[in-house]
Amino acid sequence: MLLTVYCQPPVNRQEEEEEEEEEEEDDDLSPYIPCEDKMAAYVLNISRIFSRELISASFQFHRYRSCLQRLPAVKPNPLSALLTQQFGSSAPCWQEVEVHAAQTADRYKQTPWVYLDSEEYVERYGSSAVWAGYRRNHKGGIPPQKTRKTCIRGDKICGNPCPICRDPNIIINHQNVKLLQQFISPHSGMVYDPTLTGVCMKQQKKLNEAIDKARDDGLLPFQIPHVDFSGEDYSNTHDAVGLTSPPPFLGPSEPWYKWWRLSGCEASANYPLCPSPPPLLCNRWLYWNCNFVVFLTMTIKFF
Amino acid sequence: MAALGTARCLFQSFYRVKDVQRIRKTLLKCNARTFCDETSVKGGAKPRFTDAAVQDILTRITGLDLQKVFRPIKQEMKPPTYKLMTDEQLEQAIQFATEEAKKQLQMPPVLPERKPINDVLAVDKILDGMDTAKYVFTDITYSIPHRERFIVVREPDGTLRKATWEERDRLVQVYFPKRGRKLMPHVLFKEENLKIVFSQDRHEDVLNLCLVQFEPDSADYIRVHEATYEDLEKNGKYNLLRSTRHFGGLAWYLVNARRVDGLIADMLRRDMLQDAISLVSLFHMVHPHSESAQEATSQQATGTDLLKIYSQKESQRSGYIELALQAYEEKAAEGSAS
Repeated sequence: MLLTVYCQPPVNRQEEEEEEEEEEEDDDLSPYIPCEDKMAAYVLNISRIFSRELISASFQFHRYRSCLQRLPAVKPNPLSALLTQQFGSSAPCWQEVEVHAAQTADRYKQTPWVYLDSEEYVERYGSSAVWAGYRRNHKGGIPPQKTRKTCIRGDKICGNPCPICRDPNIIINHQNVKLLQQFISPHSGMVYDPTLTGVCMKQQKKLNEAIDKARDDGLLPFQIPHVDFSGEDYSNTHDAVGLTSPPPFLGPSEPWYKWWRLSGCEASANYPLCPSPPPLLCNRWLYWNCNFVVFLTMTIKFF
Repeated sequence: MAALGTARCLFQSFYRVKDVQRIRKTLLKCNARTFCDETSVKGGAKPRFTDAAVQDILTRITGLDLQKVFRPIKQEMKPPTYKLMTDEQLEQAIQFATEEAKKQLQMPPVLPERKPINDVLAVDKILDGMDTAKYVFTDITYSIPHRERFIVVREPDGTLRKATWEERDRLVQVYFPKRGRKLMPHVLFKEENLKIVFSQDRHEDVLNLCLVQFEPDSADYIRVHEATYEDLEKNGKYNLLRSTRHFGGLAWYLVNARRVDGLIADMLRRDMLQDAISLVSLFHMVHPHSESAQEATSQQATGTDLLKIYSQKESQRSGYIELALQAYEEKAAEGSAS
């Protein structure tokens, strides 16, 4: 009984116009109209559908709108929308499908690795790689050495998009290790060339960056070179890395040269005018080292 | 006159060289924190990692599984080569392979943490405020070892100082890049990420990466190694490092920390009795004043007796070790009887 109360097909022209206005205003559906009565209403309104010049998205949409009463606008609750489908509609209404798709895309944006475990992925790709079976379209037998720059420019997507651009659920992320491993050779550990996988250059660049980041974070294993430690001296006694001892016969305040008065020249205003050696040689340790090197060369020459 | 002056300078520098060397030796002797001073103490000296006896034991414990050392790695692919060999040639090839494997299993050095460099060479107050950035001067002569390379920093306030260890490592990597080493260390080496990698049983990868990235006496190297060894000891996953170059370091760390029980139990579980005995003898070498060591020296124990003494005196898991020893003796008795 409840069903008939809800589904009263409008008869008057005025009501038709109101319906048209309703159609134009917003696309919110009432979730309370069961689909069983749609067929009855459809038969009644078939003449109206033909007389109308407005084109709606689908015949199912018309059925819904013809059954509408003036109910307060209710936002489509996705759960209840799914429940109404259980009343036995043959095909899911396109509004619900859209909402569902939008939600899954958002979900995969946050956690892109979930898609590779989902049924959708298995149905579409099975156990083979995402790029398996993709064929580039090009003139002649030899493909160009570089794939196209990008598949998507603004809103326009090209014909025959690359394996990553054709599936919006595949998102390149450094945490999406399963996807990244599909683009790395299991034998040599090298990233496949884009001419082999068919990926566009923009996505290939993103892929390379994601692989580097994953290797940096330790999510992707890679071959580490062997380090040889023989023949290295770790005593740290050299002056470069150890403490430079001051020369024994000179005190800390005594100048290196007898004619160089450190305190006097530095304190005076005409510092650049003082007769001074270049500042480099003021460093005691460097001077001492130079002396030592000169001494060594002299001794080597002698022997 | 000039010749006299230069001759005098040379003479003085020679004198300074001799003096400085003498002073350096006295400094080393007085400084208690250097690891060199143990060599001067003879008789009852604490054995070091580089001692021949210690290295011998550690190499024996590490083992040599050719299948593991030469397992297939991801590298540039070449077509395979096939050779027909006689038995002698095959033996020679296996010998060659064992020598190559020993080179691969060369143990990385275990060093104390390096002391920070705080050496100011000059303070030129005239340069204070001249610039907003530090200037780093690096000696890029090709033929000198990196530890003898002079790297100095001029601060904006005019101080000329030697570069710190971190700055040194970074600059040497800039001018003389080493294969596999990055300027900024991998994010992998942070504590949280290390836990994730350990849960995937990739301890060997972490240690290899650590060897490539850090210097053996740096703080990061020691920290990562300690974290890895602690995780291995906690979970008992000693077999991951067997037949790799890191097993010696692990054994040395555990012996110094006196926590060898887990490792001995693991060895007994895998029927490696000789390895367990060598490990216990190493323990006695490193801790000669412990009860089990003194007992062993008094009884002149060898073989399974060493293990028994250790399990009675020192071990916390004595029950397991004794059970395993009993089982081994029964097996040996059955083997000799049949």
